Amino acid sequence: MKVTTIVNVPEVVTIDEIREEIKDVKTFYLSFDKKEYQDTFKIRSGQFVMCTVFGSGEFAVSLPPSPENDRFHLTVKQVGKVTTALHELEPGDKLGIRGPFGNGFPFEEIKGKNVIYVAGGIGLIPLRSSIVHVLQHKEEFGRVIVMHGAQTPEALMYKDNLKEWQNFDGFETYITVDNPTPDWTGETGFVHTLFDKANLPVENTVAFVCGPPIMFNTVIGELMKRGISDESIYSTLERHMKCGVGKCQHCAIGRTLVCTDGPVYTFRQIKTLGEEI
Amino acid sequence: MYLIKKSDVLEIARELGKEYQVIGPVVDADSGQTFFEKTEPELIQLKAPIPSVPPKYTVFPQIETLMRYRYDRESKEVEIREMYETEPKAVFGLRSCDLNGLLCLDRFFLGQEFVDEAYRVHRKKMFIVTNTCVTPFKNCFCVCTDSGPAAEEGYDLNLTELDDVYLVEAGSDKGRELVERMGLEKADESYAVKKKEAVDKSVSLFEEFATDSKAWISRVMNRVTTGFIREDVWEYIGDQCFECGACTFVCPSCSCFNIVDVNNADGSSERLRTWDSCSYEGYSRMAGGHNPRKPVEDRRNKRFFCKLSYSQMKKYLRPGCVGCGRCAWVCPGNIGLPKVVEYVRRETHK
Repeated sequence: MKVTTIVNVPEVVTIDEIREEIKDVKTFYLSFDKKEYQDTFKIRSGQFVMCTVFGSGEFAVSLPPSPENDRFHLTVKQVGKVTTALHELEPGDKLGIRGPFGNGFPFEEIKGKNVIYVAGGIGLIPLRSSIVHVLQHKEEFGRVIVMHGAQTPEALMYKDNLKEWQNFDGFETYITVDNPTPDWTGETGFVHTLFDKANLPVENTVAFVCGPPIMFNTVIGELMKRGISDESIYSTLERHMKCGVGKCQHCAIGRTLVCTDGPVYTFRQIKTLGEEI
Repeated sequence: MYLIKKSDVLEIARELGKEYQVIGPVVDADSGQTFFEKTEPELIQLKAPIPSVPPKYTVFPQIETLMRYRYDRESKEVEIREMYETEPKAVFGLRSCDLNGLLCLDRFFLGQEFVDEAYRVHRKKMFIVTNTCVTPFKNCFCVCTDSGPAAEEGYDLNLTELDDVYLVEAGSDKGRELVERMGLEKADESYAVKKKEAVDKSVSLFEEFATDSKAWISRVMNRVTTGFIREDVWEYIGDQCFECGACTFVCPSCSCFNIVDVNNADGSSERLRTWDSCSYEGYSRMAGGHNPRKPVEDRRNKRFFCKLSYSQMKKYLRPGCVGCGRCAWVCPGNIGLPKVVEYVRRETHK
C-alpha cells in the first residue's frame, strides 16, 4: 500500500478526544480530515511528526502510538508557547500534521533478543510505541523488561498501560518513584537501582533508554557496567527543530541531523557525535 | 564560444529583461558599495567589486512566506494556501564564488532525501550569467577554496573580459538559444587560449591584490573533521565572537533558517521562513530551556565544522567555503573564516 510522508503543507487533523495524563501532560487523539490519510499515514516506532497549532506555530513531537492497531495520538507536555496553545484546545479543534519523519527504532534487527526498556518520566512517551509493538509480537522476542521511574506516583506516565503491562504474562514490569507519597506501596529510588532486582539479561540483549540527561548517563553507565555493549543501547534524542526534513539545521549534532539521521541513535553513535546531548 | 563588443555587453541583459526580472551588480552612489539587486539593465556595472551581500537571497530570501492559513475556531474550518510562487529571475554578472555558493545551496536543498519545494520553485525559473574575475579584489581567496576566479559549471552564460570584447560561453541549451537568437559572432579557438591566459593572469594577481585573506583550507580540514583542535583555540575564537550573525548572513553557502507563524490583523496567519544563524544563543535552545550549545565557542566551532569538514564536503562536493571573503570583511571581531583557518592551522593564537 502507498505510504505517505507529508513534507511541505500540513494535513488537517481533528482532535477527537483529550486525556489528561499527568500534570501538564495531555494525550490528544486525532484523526485525519482527508480519508485517504487514515489509510496511508503509516508510522514506524520511534519516528516523530511536526504538529501545527494554527495561529501559534509548529513543534516536533514523538509518536507514542504503535504502528499497528492503535489510535493515532500525540502526548504532549506543556512547556513553551506552542504547546501551551495546544493545551488550551478542545475536542473538535483542528491541528496540522507533517511527517512522519526520522529513522525509528529497529524492529526486525532485534527480533529474537531480550529487550529492556528504561524510561524516566515523560521519556516513556517515545518508548511507548515500541513497547506496544513488541507486546503485540511478544512471541518473537526473549525476555521483555519495562522499567519506568518518575519523581512522584502522580508523575508516572500512561498509568493504564503500566497496569496492562504489569498484568501481561510475557512482560516483566518494574515501576519506581523518587519521592513516594505515604500511600505508595511500590519501589522507591532511581530507576537503575532496580537493575539487580530485575536480574537483567546481558547476552543477546538490547536496551532502549529515554529520559532526562542526568538519568540517561547513570542508566547507560550501569547497563554498560553489566556488559551490555554500546551498540545494543538505543536512545531517542530531542532537539529544537523547525523543518523536520534536514534543511533548517537546528537539530544538528556533530555531523548528523536528529531529524533525518535520528532521532534514534545507538549509544556508540552518540559517543562519536562529540556534543552534549 | 561567442563574442560581443565590450560596449554592447549589456545588450544580453536587455534581451534577458524581456523574459526575466534582471538582477545584477549596481554601485550605490552614496556608499560606494556594490549591491546585487533588481535593476534596469543599463545600470549594471560588470566591473564593480563583489557585492556586499551575496545573491543567495534570490533563491533563498531573507524572509519568505511559505504558506498562508486561516483557522476559524467557531466553525472549525481551516483554509491553507501554499505560497510557492516566484517571478523568473536572471542574475547577471555573478562572480564565480557566488555561483559556487549557489551550487552548494542546490546540492543542499535539492540533492538530498527531501527536496525543498520553495527553493526548487525559485531556482527553476532562473537564468545565470557569470562574469570571470580578471582581477581579484582585496578580500578574495577563491583560489584557496577551488571556486574561482572563473566559473567552470552551473552557468547558462559565462562572460570573460578580453581587451575590447567579452568572450561569451554558453553552459546550457537555454544560454545557447539566447546567444543564437541575438545573433552573436562566433569566436574561434584562439579565444579559448586567450581566456586561459586571462585566468592565469588573474590567479597570479592574487599575491598583489588579494592581500587581506588567505586560507590554507586543506591543511585544516583534517583537524576540523577529526576534532583534534585545542579547546583554548576555540575559546580564543569564541571570545572574539559578537554573536551578531553577520558572517552567516553574508555567506553565499550558509542556509540555516528559522520558521515562525505570524498572525495578521484580519485573522489569517502566515508561516514565514527567515534566515537564522548558528551563532545565536537561542539556536539550539529547546522549549524546556535545555540548550546543548550554550557556550559561544561551541557554536563557533560548529560553523567552521559546517564549512570545512569532510562530512560537509561529501554533501556539497566541495568545501562549504567559497572564498568570497565577506565574513572577514563584516566580522566586528576579526574572526572571519581565513583568520580561523590561520588559528587552527597554527594551533595557536599567539
